[in-house]
Amino acid sequence: MPTFFDSWLPFIYLYVGGGIFFLAGMILIRKTKAIDMRLRRDRFWWKAMIFGYFYFMAIHAFSIIAALYL
Amino acid sequence: MGQVHNIGTQLDWIVLVIYMIAMLLFGTYFAKYNKDTNDFFFGGRRFTWWLIAMSIVATGISSHSFVKYSAMGFKYGFSSSMSYMNDWFFVPFFLFGWLPIIVYSRIKSIPEYFERRFSPSARFFVTILQLMYLVGYVGIGFLTMGKAILPLMPESFTILGFQIHISLMGLIWITAIITGIYITFGGQTAVIFTDLVQGLMLLFAGLMVFFVGVAFVGGWAEFWNLLPPSWKIPFAGYNSPAEFNSVGTFWEDGIAGSVGFLFMNMGLIMRFMATKNVHEGRKAATINILFMLPISAIVVGGGGWVAKAISVKFPNLLPPNLNPDSVFVVISNIVTGPGVFGFVIAAIAAALMSTVSTLLNATAAIWVNDVDRPIRLWLKKIKKEDPIDEKRAMVVARTSTVAFTILGVAAVYAFNSYPTVYQAHAFFHATLTPPLMIAIFFGAFWKKFTPAGLITTVLGGISLMLLGNRYPLELIAPIAHGTPFDPVHPFTYMSALYNLIVCTGVAVVITFSQNKLKHFAAHIKKNPNHSAIMFSMIVFSVAVVLYDVLAAVFKLHIVPLDLIFIITLIASGFIALITTYYVKYDPDTQTIGLTVWSIHKAKEWFKGRKLNEREGDIVKVNWKLKEGNDEEDLIYFSQKDMHKMAAEPGDLVYISDKRKWLGGLKSCHSTYGEPHDEDGVVYLRKLHLGKGLFVEGKLLEAEKEM
Repeated sequence: MPTFFDSWLPFIYLYVGGGIFFLAGMILIRKTKAIDMRLRRDRFWWKAMIFGYFYFMAIHAFSIIAALYL
Repeated sequence: MGQVHNIGTQLDWIVLVIYMIAMLLFGTYFAKYNKDTNDFFFGGRRFTWWLIAMSIVATGISSHSFVKYSAMGFKYGFSSSMSYMNDWFFVPFFLFGWLPIIVYSRIKSIPEYFERRFSPSARFFVTILQLMYLVGYVGIGFLTMGKAILPLMPESFTILGFQIHISLMGLIWITAIITGIYITFGGQTAVIFTDLVQGLMLLFAGLMVFFVGVAFVGGWAEFWNLLPPSWKIPFAGYNSPAEFNSVGTFWEDGIAGSVGFLFMNMGLIMRFMATKNVHEGRKAATINILFMLPISAIVVGGGGWVAKAISVKFPNLLPPNLNPDSVFVVISNIVTGPGVFGFVIAAIAAALMSTVSTLLNATAAIWVNDVDRPIRLWLKKIKKEDPIDEKRAMVVARTSTVAFTILGVAAVYAFNSYPTVYQAHAFFHATLTPPLMIAIFFGAFWKKFTPAGLITTVLGGISLMLLGNRYPLELIAPIAHGTPFDPVHPFTYMSALYNLIVCTGVAVVITFSQNKLKHFAAHIKKNPNHSAIMFSMIVFSVAVVLYDVLAAVFKLHIVPLDLIFIITLIASGFIALITTYYVKYDPDTQTIGLTVWSIHKAKEWFKGRKLNEREGDIVKVNWKLKEGNDEEDLIYFSQKDMHKMAAEPGDLVYISDKRKWLGGLKSCHSTYGEPHDEDGVVYLRKLHLGKGLFVEGKLLEAEKEM
């Protein structure tokens, strides 16, 4: 059976480490007004980007649970 | 590891050869859409998102190929998918930073961006790095292809009494010749359209091998139960083994590789520049990362997963000591029948041709824009304001494609020393990506970043990286997160983290020291011996960089590590001072429209006037030819249609054939002229008919671009 070291730790490392870069990007594009939240299209993209982060997180979490318990 | 030979049948070869010829003809057909270098390199900036997304699949899958991921899937299980599932973190930077910057600044290559943002010398260094990056990528592609085809070949054959041994390199040369011909005559439009076909074919082939393989072992439940839990975890071990671990893959692939692929890969960037507008580019990138990459992870790794299950259930079916890089080909042969196997191999060949042709097209673009033209300017054969000699540029583009094909094959010799393609690719990413990554990132997202910061990042950063390569135990091991030390290929993955740290460190320190550097430079200028001072600093810096190169290549140990590290830091400081002394740089003008802080301005420049951000609808119109000035780039809609589109005279418009399946092939960009009163009709000039290849009687649709 894989240990925490070989299952959830890589998951946490990926989403915390990657999350720092992701968050920095989201803050930067808001701060610089590269994304204009007054525009419908840009509001859509803002939500799509947040969705993408949790979408991949959910796929990975589900895959680990399936590997360990199914 | 044993090399398998002679698998497959005559029918497989027939399918493979027919496919190759069909692709050559298909690609060459699209050469007619190459009116000028803009079409040859960028496909005329006209395509819709789905065409580009599919074309990116073909390019992406080959570079992260069937061969290497099946090998890792076979050895380590579902964790081979890691590289396809860690690309989202830099999406905000790309969609709302780098993508709009490169499109709106109308650059033709990444090095050109560096000249406008920094200086011609910055362009020079980035051009060298870009060409090395692209040629290396071409080399990886050729190596993959050779390893995929080799198992099909006999060990040798006899012709006219001569026995010819079939070697990996011989095969690679033949592949290179076919690919070179195809891209030389086709151009970007050919690449995009053949990629559409190839992308679909290889998705189908990869999924087929996986699902047929699952059926081969007795269905999904049997397949799932055959694999131990450790094989089903989507991550490799946290920090071991040395050749494949999660933490290393995060830095090498999730950070360096993702940024390299999205931001630096000129081949991919050119795909995004071929979309009709930034919004379509965003859609293409998003759909590709969210949906196509996870599917691709199954497509390329599935063969290895199935091979593992088969090796557990039927231990005698796979050859003992099978070379992991041959797993996909061997397993495809086992689970598919004659002819179908040929199709699968054709799909791999397709994937390789997509990647390599894209990259060769990109190297040609860089050569034409960043080497040939600047050299001719320097030699005073042309003036800056002279228009591009299209005929000559096309000849140069095609000649350079041939030259880079040859260089790509030469690069294979270096990568072939690695036990697997995966490790060769990882080494390549970890080594070449960090300096360019930091240069692009800080250039586009940090207004304060200066030419001194950039050039020192490239030269000083690389020198420090070379020291890391020479002294891995002393410099990389402390930050390697406990990953094991492999003396032959030390810290293949974690060297990416070390390289990123030293390049970032140099960039930040030099940028924050800019005022001090200016002060020193001014002080030296006042000194009567200023030429001698600068000359000695240049000689010292060149000597240090040269020593670092030689120390890494020949494993020299003439100077102790701590001393050479300090000397390299001093040389980096000198490089920064030399750059500050010689390079003219005005941060106020050279950052406008070229960093994320002034995207709005970049848009205004792109349009050439004030923006109209009102959101309008798409209108469908019939077209009529407007006689008179054939070259006038204005098209005329009715008042009502303009109102629907929320457009005003002077705004930019995109007009295309209404048939969606054409993907924008028949389309063009123009500017709105003064409105008329004939609703549902657009008046075009001959210029637009030539660019858009519109068909008489076919409905068009138009939308305001900005």
